[in-house]
Amino acid sequence: MVTRIIHIVLSPLIALVVAVFLLGLSRIVIARIHRRYGPPIYQPIIDIIRLMNQQSISHGTLFELGVVLALAGSIVTVLFIPLGGTNAPPGSYPLAHGLLCPLSSSGGLLVVIYLMLFGPVSIALGAGASENPNASIGVSRKMLLALAYEVPFLLVILAIMSHYGTISIAEIVSRQQDSAWGVFSVPLSAVAAFLILPAMLGIRPFDLVGAPQEIASGPLAEYGGRYLALLTIQNGIQVFVVIALFVNLFLGGGVNVITFLLKVFAVFLAAELVSAVLPRVRIENALRFCWTWPTGLALAQMIITVVSR
Amino acid sequence: MLPTTILIVAFGSAGFVYLAGRVHARVRDTLAVLSSLVLVGLIGLGYGAWREVVYVPDFLGLELVLRLNLLAWFFAITVAAVVSLSTIFSLSYMRRKESANFHYSATLAVEGAMLGTVFAGDLLSFFIFWEIMSWSAYLLISCNRGRALEAGLKYIIMSLVGSCAMLIGLLAMYSGLGVLSIPLVAEGMQAASPGFVLLVLLTFGLGFGIKSAMVPLHTWLPDAHSEAASPFSAVLSGVLIKMGIYGFVLLMYVVVGLKLLLGVGAGWLTFRHILCWLGAITVVVPTFIAVLQSDAKRLLAWSSIGQIGYIILGLSFGTSLAFAGAIFHALNHALCKSLLFLAVGAVEHNTGGVRDLNDLGGLAKRMPVTFACALLAGLGLIGIPLTSGFVPKWLIYRSLIEDGYPFLALAALIGTWGAILYVYKLLHNIFLGQLPEKHREVRRAPLSMRIPILLLGLGILVFGVVPGIPLRAVQDIGHTFGLAQLKVTLWGLGSEAGALNMLNICLAVVIAFAAAFLLLRLGAKGRAVDQEDSYAAGSAVPVGRYHYTVDFYGPLSRMISPYLRDRADEFYYWLAARGREIADLTRKVYTGYAGTYVLYIVSFLAALIFLQLVWHIW
Repeated sequence: MVTRIIHIVLSPLIALVVAVFLLGLSRIVIARIHRRYGPPIYQPIIDIIRLMNQQSISHGTLFELGVVLALAGSIVTVLFIPLGGTNAPPGSYPLAHGLLCPLSSSGGLLVVIYLMLFGPVSIALGAGASENPNASIGVSRKMLLALAYEVPFLLVILAIMSHYGTISIAEIVSRQQDSAWGVFSVPLSAVAAFLILPAMLGIRPFDLVGAPQEIASGPLAEYGGRYLALLTIQNGIQVFVVIALFVNLFLGGGVNVITFLLKVFAVFLAAELVSAVLPRVRIENALRFCWTWPTGLALAQMIITVVSR
Repeated sequence: MLPTTILIVAFGSAGFVYLAGRVHARVRDTLAVLSSLVLVGLIGLGYGAWREVVYVPDFLGLELVLRLNLLAWFFAITVAAVVSLSTIFSLSYMRRKESANFHYSATLAVEGAMLGTVFAGDLLSFFIFWEIMSWSAYLLISCNRGRALEAGLKYIIMSLVGSCAMLIGLLAMYSGLGVLSIPLVAEGMQAASPGFVLLVLLTFGLGFGIKSAMVPLHTWLPDAHSEAASPFSAVLSGVLIKMGIYGFVLLMYVVVGLKLLLGVGAGWLTFRHILCWLGAITVVVPTFIAVLQSDAKRLLAWSSIGQIGYIILGLSFGTSLAFAGAIFHALNHALCKSLLFLAVGAVEHNTGGVRDLNDLGGLAKRMPVTFACALLAGLGLIGIPLTSGFVPKWLIYRSLIEDGYPFLALAALIGTWGAILYVYKLLHNIFLGQLPEKHREVRRAPLSMRIPILLLGLGILVFGVVPGIPLRAVQDIGHTFGLAQLKVTLWGLGSEAGALNMLNICLAVVIAFAAAFLLLRLGAKGRAVDQEDSYAAGSAVPVGRYHYTVDFYGPLSRMISPYLRDRADEFYYWLAARGREIADLTRKVYTGYAGTYVLYIVSFLAALIFLQLVWHIW
């Protein structure tokens, strides 16, 4: 019971720290690729503290509630995702520890894909309540983008769930640790998932939801001060959740937190490298892209999985 | 004697309410609400008192039987609850409308007929109540005149086709087995030939498919749901189409039985597989048609078809998880969809009849309770955790995935992501964004509208956090059909792998919410501003027209709308046009002149004489 409570507190804290670090890292990486110096890695922390103290405006209860619910949703999602560790008996791997996933036995991957909705839907409601059409346009784009990447993403996770015959992420992770990683056993799915990763993270070339030059940051148009601070944290955690899921599904999780986080950084860097050199696309192009190559690959993998069963 | 009492109260009050309306509107309103509440109470009391009553001992040599069991009770209590809430809602909605007398009385008659349908213990009474239900619903749909007349006509013609098919099945059963009492028929079916079983499945399935609006038999629903009065739309979508689902349960699990059902068909082409795939199509296509709609009630109508797809999918899949999911989802959809129709009705009532999604906006601040509950119902349709929609959908997905049907699961999941799109569009265009100038004066909905909406919202929340209450009833129903027991706990399912515990999720959400809220409180407080005071990047802000609604999902609708033509509807219209041509041809024979008819008679006689003279037939 005590270890469980420690895990419940520990998981979101790890997510929070790593999320803020990832935000700082991404700014440095992109700056270096653009041959700039870039801000210090702790810049997001400075920004968040500054935003918390700045004055802001509010458009009513739902406007504020959207922010709180979005952050809460992201934190809850973290609790359902294994953050390293293994269920194997002690001594099987060096430096291994027990699975760090407080709520591994509550519905598995199907709950996670639903909980991942919590954040975007809450932001959509808050942004809708912000009475600004730029926000509404941004939400409309977000909904379409989500539909665009969810089609291949659902195919990917269905292929994985069919391949391993379970809906539990912890089970999927331990099966990978016993045999081959997902990237080798369901390779086409892994490629498809990597192709839609920028869309799921909301980074270039798929940053059309909050495009500052077109629609004044979209859903965030009216948010400032403490609301923006919380939404920055929420965005960071959402990024962490998506990448953690990728690591768990395709790279075998990690036998301990350290190796897990190293994999997370590697995947994040790879996604940022793609993102740093590409321009923004329009929503039509995003829909078309997601529904051709990634969907095709994921579909092929799913057919292979179903036939080979 | 309970089922009979309930039916007598329902049909009796239908008559009395009409008479009371002649005396005074207030008397009628009181009587209608009271009798609908009494019905809820009576059915509630009937829990556990399972029995069979012979109410007509000898009708052409058959016994007419009413029976009360868990399955019937589950559907009956849903029907009674939704109808009573809709009646309370009607108090304001129907005030000072000419058709009010008729509305109340016919609603109670529909309720009586639906209750009769679920209580019927033999297929003849089932058919009789089914017909009463179809006809009284027809009268209510076309009550508004104008376009409603056409919608009603479409509904009743399709219903009649279904009824005719059912009648054929009924007669085949009677001549083949000689009995119509459900347990005896079920016994007889076990020894019947596969062809006979298929005939029964197809004829009854056609009738139930039309009533539950399964693709491709759905075409009556979008018109009927959007043209009926909103309180009745709630009944129509919430419970009346569930009678088709009840019929499917009765047909597949009781009359034919699971063991026999699995054997119908050959190889991959089995009855069950075909129904599964029809269910999957019913999930996906109507959901995306709903995304394209710009009339609030039409959007909800298409969404109803999509949600029925989940129920059909779960029922026809036939594992105990999928069955539990399907029946639970029937309850969830009844709650969510009647709430949404009532909410849209409240908006319609308060804005003077506006339900065009491009003509509203910003009403959340004027009608906060309606908005909050509509939001809850929308999330329930999507199946967000902690609403009653989550557990049934989770059960269906899990069943499909673990039994190795990922493509069916894909259809179900994509339907959910489409649902997010239309739910957000509905809520955003009506309640969020800026309030148009012309709706400045809108007030909150009257109390008699808020109470039913609130109660339904409460139901969605309670069954979402404590899914064990309905789940236990549902799994007991499944158990009587020979499905495996689930390990149901109060908070979800308890089993070794892939368990579900809503208490964990609920606590996690509450704690995370508290943490996020505390974090927010740490920051500097925001200053409340007016809706005109928003950032427009330096451009002038047009007051009161600053709401982004038209073509909300433009890029998507341009991409998918060519693929989403309602071909079934076009086909039926084509069929109707051909039918009319044939009728026109036959009418040419009937000229209306006596001389022509004399000519026909004479030439007929001449032909007879000719035949006799040449071939000597007689």
